[in-house]
Amino acid sequence: MKIRQNALSLVFLLLFLAALVGQAFAGTADYNERQLVDGGSTLSVLAYVASSDFAVDVAENWQSEYLQFFLFVIVTVWLIQRGSTESKEPGKEGAESDKDQKIGEHAEPDSPAWAKVGGFRRWLFSNSLGLTMGIIFLLSWLSQSIAGVAAGNAQRLSELRDPISWGEYVLAPEFWNRTLQNWQSEFLAVASMVVLSIYLRQRGSPESKPVGESHEATGNSG
Amino acid sequence: MRGLFILAAVVLVSGCAPDASAPIGTAERFYRALTSGQPDAACLLLAPRTAAKLPDEGESCGQALAKLGLEGGQVERAAVWGEEAQVSLAEDTLFLHRYADGWRIKAAGCEPRPELPFDCEVED
Repeated sequence: MKIRQNALSLVFLLLFLAALVGQAFAGTADYNERQLVDGGSTLSVLAYVASSDFAVDVAENWQSEYLQFFLFVIVTVWLIQRGSTESKEPGKEGAESDKDQKIGEHAEPDSPAWAKVGGFRRWLFSNSLGLTMGIIFLLSWLSQSIAGVAAGNAQRLSELRDPISWGEYVLAPEFWNRTLQNWQSEFLAVASMVVLSIYLRQRGSPESKPVGESHEATGNSG
Repeated sequence: MRGLFILAAVVLVSGCAPDASAPIGTAERFYRALTSGQPDAACLLLAPRTAAKLPDEGESCGQALAKLGLEGGQVERAAVWGEEAQVSLAEDTLFLHRYADGWRIKAAGCEPRPELPFDCEVED
């Protein structure tokens, strides 16, 4: 019963792990193919997983996904899209009232403890989703830059070029190419979801309006 | 969050705490062999493709290496990133790669060129 009640989280965690293992094996094969062409030496899967090449490939995708959710969580506080399931109803832009948000004196018996209190704890809990997504984004991006300079310098040395510092790397075309090629796809995916959910339906999905709902209806899910 | 800490640890282990003593040791043994008149021993420290490419037809790797008259000098600095290393000596810059049996020299007799890869007398 517990599994059924947590099936959505569990399935995506398993898919994540399966994809990560797949990436480790495919990445090792790709790395070793390039090493053979360059006259280098091959790595085991374990050695590849511990390498900066694997770390930068993982981190650059993580940072863009968490940036996507961070922006989605924060921007939808203030901006709306009429007719989209991903938007609040027109007129509700902003942080909304304490009553609407069930905080302080408007908290209900089963409200989380920090929604009932005031001060910093209420502020922190009120912004905890966006802050967590934002912090994971920044840490992933930092990891991408650190792993990226390591992988990039190994590549530079194999090409008989001087290594560069972290400061030089984060201004280098490679870092921004890796970063922006991920960002553009995330932004397009969000824009697509916001707009397509106005006109298209997926019966039974909470990401969609009920099939018979008007295109004008905003924020409904079914 | 735990994944990020693991990732950071992986980065630290794999990229940011390199041990330069092994490639420096190979560079020093290479020049010790050359200066003591043992170019064949120096050739054993070259990467397989570099050693194969060096000699002209009819000469050995050692003969080709001796002919170049490479000069090394004191080790000034070293950089290790992943399986690659660069050892800068007073008179030369060496590029090395880590193989299963240790570090081998991919390129030697290298001169820097602005905005371009080093120009090396010995390379693969």
